Amino acid sequence: MFTESFMVRALAAALMLAPLSALLGVFVTARRMAFFSDTIAHGALAGIALGMWLGMTDMTLPMVLFSLAIAAIILWLKEKTNLLTDTIMALLLSGSVAFGIVILSLQQGSRGEIHAYLFGDILAVDTQDIWLAAALLIIVAFALFRFLSPMALITANEEMAHVCGIRVRRFNYLFVLVLTLTVAVTIRLLGIILVTSLLVIPAATGRNLSRNLRQQIISSILVGLLGGFSGVLISYRLDVPCGPAIVLACIALFILSLAVDRFFLNRKQEVTA
Amino acid sequence: MNPLLKPFPSSITAPPDADCPQCRAAQYKGGAPVIEVADAKVSFNGVPVLRGVNLTIPKGEIVAVIGPNGCGKTTLLRSLLGLQRLDAGTIKLFGETDIHSVLHRVGYVPQKLALDRSFALSVREFLALRLPSTRHWFWKGPRSTDTVLAPIVAELAIEKLLPKPLAQLSGGQLQRVLIAFSLLHQPQLLLLDEPTAGVDTPGEQGFYELIGKIHKQHGLTVVLVSHDLSMVYKHATWVYALNGVVCCEGTPEEVMNAESLKQAYGIHVSPYHHHHHVH
Repeated sequence: MFTESFMVRALAAALMLAPLSALLGVFVTARRMAFFSDTIAHGALAGIALGMWLGMTDMTLPMVLFSLAIAAIILWLKEKTNLLTDTIMALLLSGSVAFGIVILSLQQGSRGEIHAYLFGDILAVDTQDIWLAAALLIIVAFALFRFLSPMALITANEEMAHVCGIRVRRFNYLFVLVLTLTVAVTIRLLGIILVTSLLVIPAATGRNLSRNLRQQIISSILVGLLGGFSGVLISYRLDVPCGPAIVLACIALFILSLAVDRFFLNRKQEVTA
Repeated sequence: MNPLLKPFPSSITAPPDADCPQCRAAQYKGGAPVIEVADAKVSFNGVPVLRGVNLTIPKGEIVAVIGPNGCGKTTLLRSLLGLQRLDAGTIKLFGETDIHSVLHRVGYVPQKLALDRSFALSVREFLALRLPSTRHWFWKGPRSTDTVLAPIVAELAIEKLLPKPLAQLSGGQLQRVLIAFSLLHQPQLLLLDEPTAGVDTPGEQGFYELIGKIHKQHGLTVVLVSHDLSMVYKHATWVYALNGVVCCEGTPEEVMNAESLKQAYGIHVSPYHHHHHVH
């Protein structure tokens, strides 16, 4: 299977984006930002629709720009209004999907392409996406490990982080920027509907297998790698869409981790207690 | 002349009487100020929360800021930490109006953490986040971190909690860990927000004894922000009752009379006396 170039590209993308999402996912789940990432992913649909309408061939730019715009609007509304965060997200998620569908319905013959963006497509991953994923992985992983302590402290309590001299607002904006870029790039592989699962499931699986943050980060990255690899393999062997295959592989690992937590880690804890 | 009956030299003045309110007030007001709040005003959407707060907290005191919910305690605390901008007035910490420049001299203990069980941050890792010397905790083993943390961990008796996830601690355990965290960089001022909110009643007494011990050993100025009246009576050396403005201030005995509390809380309340039963 690795003689076919599209498979090599898909696998390379999965092995870079899955651990990156898993690493970010540790903080996304702890900061209860899963719905936020889902909203910016769905915002990408409107970007894609606009890109198609404008006759663009590469959808990366409109996708990323629209997702960033949605993220900025969420932050602005949270700061400037009394609206509940959930209300803001639901408003923007449904609004951007509705806007995207209206734009798409005005065009002819875009159904197949949209299907690939909704559910992910191995064939849609091109060389540019690989370079983008590689650059994102290197920059984000370096930055996150470099600023792991401030990030962990902000996640624990923003006011304490402020008292410790950390520029909380700046870190929060940077985190949202990085998350938005990662989500937008991962959409190619997993699709709009499933992209959040790669942020949430490996981090939740890693949590089941760990007793501290260090273990959680390492195990989440490993689960992301394993889920990404097995998903691409399943997708190729069974000729099924790549996104759902990766998600199902991650869910299988999550169920396995529940069993490990229940039967091994808890028992070990009882013995030490 | 009997040597035991030597008269006092005239240059020595009599020490202040701890039971005399005037002496205590003079002693309190004469201390070097750590916090100075002058005519602080904050409003949200046109609704005034702080309507001109004035208070001065001198070095070395345990001060309680009490008041009912919505009286502006949290807004005042956030303003002291530089998290809330004032509409009018000034706040000085250690004589500085630029609060950010003196935050390294401040320890802050929040009411709670917003952590849930999905974040596996352990107590050891949490404490390691505070100091530059332990910030590479991810790459180093726990032994190097423990060596740095050892004195404060022993003082707060939290050795057994070190490997536990922070999100799984009880209210009392979490308070001890948060205090340890806030003391690691050796601050001069400790601010505590509703410190016993998540602590059960038997744990409260131990908690305030701990605060008293830390206050003495570290020579700290301690500010407790709380709606808990019972705490004030025993543990604070000075009390400010807040309700948009400082309604009254003084020793706990002075403030905890019905009239003062009526001013602060707007209703008739009686000071709560905590009785200890001998078992």
